[in-house]
Amino acid sequence: MRAFTVIMTLFVASLLSGATAVAQEGHPLKGSWIGTWGPSKTHSEDLLMVLNWDGKAITGMINPGTDNIPIKSATLMPDTWSVHFEAAAKDTTYTFDGKIENLAMHNRSITGTWKSPKESGKFNVQRQ
Amino acid sequence: MTSGVRRISVLVLAGVLLAVIPGLAHHEILGKFDDKKPITLNGIVTDVDWKNPHVHVFMNVKDAKGGVLNWAIELESPIDLQQSGWSRDTVQPGDAITVRGMSARNGSRQAWGESVVVSKTGKRVLNMTATAPPPPLQPRPSPRWPDKQLRLGAAPGGAQGYWAYPSSTVLVEKGVTAPMSRYGLLKNISDAPKVAPMQPWAQALYISRQSRFLQDDPTFLNCKPPGGPRQFQQSEGVQFVEDRERQRIFVLIGGGNNNFRIIYTDGRKQVGQVGGDDDNPLYYGRSVGKWEADALVVDTRGFNEDFWFTNGGLPHTDQLHLVERFTRPDYDTLKYELTVDDPAAYTRQWSSEWTLRWVAGQEQPRHLCQENRP
Repeated sequence: MRAFTVIMTLFVASLLSGATAVAQEGHPLKGSWIGTWGPSKTHSEDLLMVLNWDGKAITGMINPGTDNIPIKSATLMPDTWSVHFEAAAKDTTYTFDGKIENLAMHNRSITGTWKSPKESGKFNVQRQ
Repeated sequence: MTSGVRRISVLVLAGVLLAVIPGLAHHEILGKFDDKKPITLNGIVTDVDWKNPHVHVFMNVKDAKGGVLNWAIELESPIDLQQSGWSRDTVQPGDAITVRGMSARNGSRQAWGESVVVSKTGKRVLNMTATAPPPPLQPRPSPRWPDKQLRLGAAPGGAQGYWAYPSSTVLVEKGVTAPMSRYGLLKNISDAPKVAPMQPWAQALYISRQSRFLQDDPTFLNCKPPGGPRQFQQSEGVQFVEDRERQRIFVLIGGGNNNFRIIYTDGRKQVGQVGGDDDNPLYYGRSVGKWEADALVVDTRGFNEDFWFTNGGLPHTDQLHLVERFTRPDYDTLKYELTVDDPAAYTRQWSSEWTLRWVAGQEQPRHLCQENRP
């Protein structure tokens, strides 16, 4: 299953990386983000986040596919451009705390830490 | 008051008004140059790059050690320079000139030229003059079609003209006072919350754009179209072409990348473009309009998020919904009223309005931002 997840993640990432870089001047979190989160014994190091903003709430998904992880809650603190995500997988939960960097760029990034009840590490994703 | 005295009074008033109009650059030059770092350069012209968006004059300047360094002097656009009496031959390679202006923020050998004087003659060759036409002495009646409907474009008979010189080049909520440059850069950043009723994230993003002197504006950085109300605040103006047979109005944009917008007046609903591509958000959105007496009321949705919809960088989202109202109270005045509804970026609806002046007898200028682009 892990190998399948890796393949699917890389496949989606390859599709996205081939797309033309399009500016996104609206809500800074909206879009697809690709990067890494690790090391981990339970999931791959590849990380894909798809985030949206409907005017009231930030919603999204981590690693879309058979082992996707819905984001249960997400907040953005615009005074510092800090973010906090909580995501619930089938058998565990994940918490992400990070900060948006290079805000003005279409390929801005989020860098920070993640943790689950058994593991923790750093993550970095870049908007595609 | 005699007609002669009245004419002189109008011209004097126009002169006073024009004298307070600041520089004519197409974007906020403070994003690149620092007005706190004045510079004077004496040297010999080596080249003149006569291209949009801004003309560059290159010159060799001796440094303190006796070496010669080549500097790039950035000036206004070819259109603005031509309207102020310049041509591509005004200064030529070999001319000795003195340039006064602003240094580049990044410390490179670039400067914004505010004054260019030919050393040999002492003649100041850069002398930007605003060129708004003087207002007519008497208001002229608005032109109409044979069925008496108001015309937004030129009068019949092949008369040329276009709309320009907006009374405001920045978008601020009606009734709010927030001084800013003509490009939307706030004089006082603490006024940011007053400009429009932004959500916290939108206000923080707006302040971030302002604090970077608007240098990330995609209209100037990447030649993105000036969609939304911004199309009516460009220095190159707009032109309406009313295709009554096919029931649509084209809005030709002089600035940006010279594209156009279509307003459908055939009664269609907000169902997308001709092909019904509802899932294809656009820079100018999808506009349907209808005449309500002498007002054209236009409803526009379906914007993408790939551009700034105002000079100054107010944020918007794909939920942006605009209602515009166009009236022509007299021949030379276009009144533009706007309601902004974007619940994903603002806490409530808000409105603004300004007027544009009819520039009679002239073709709409064509500013091509695609030049000098990678």
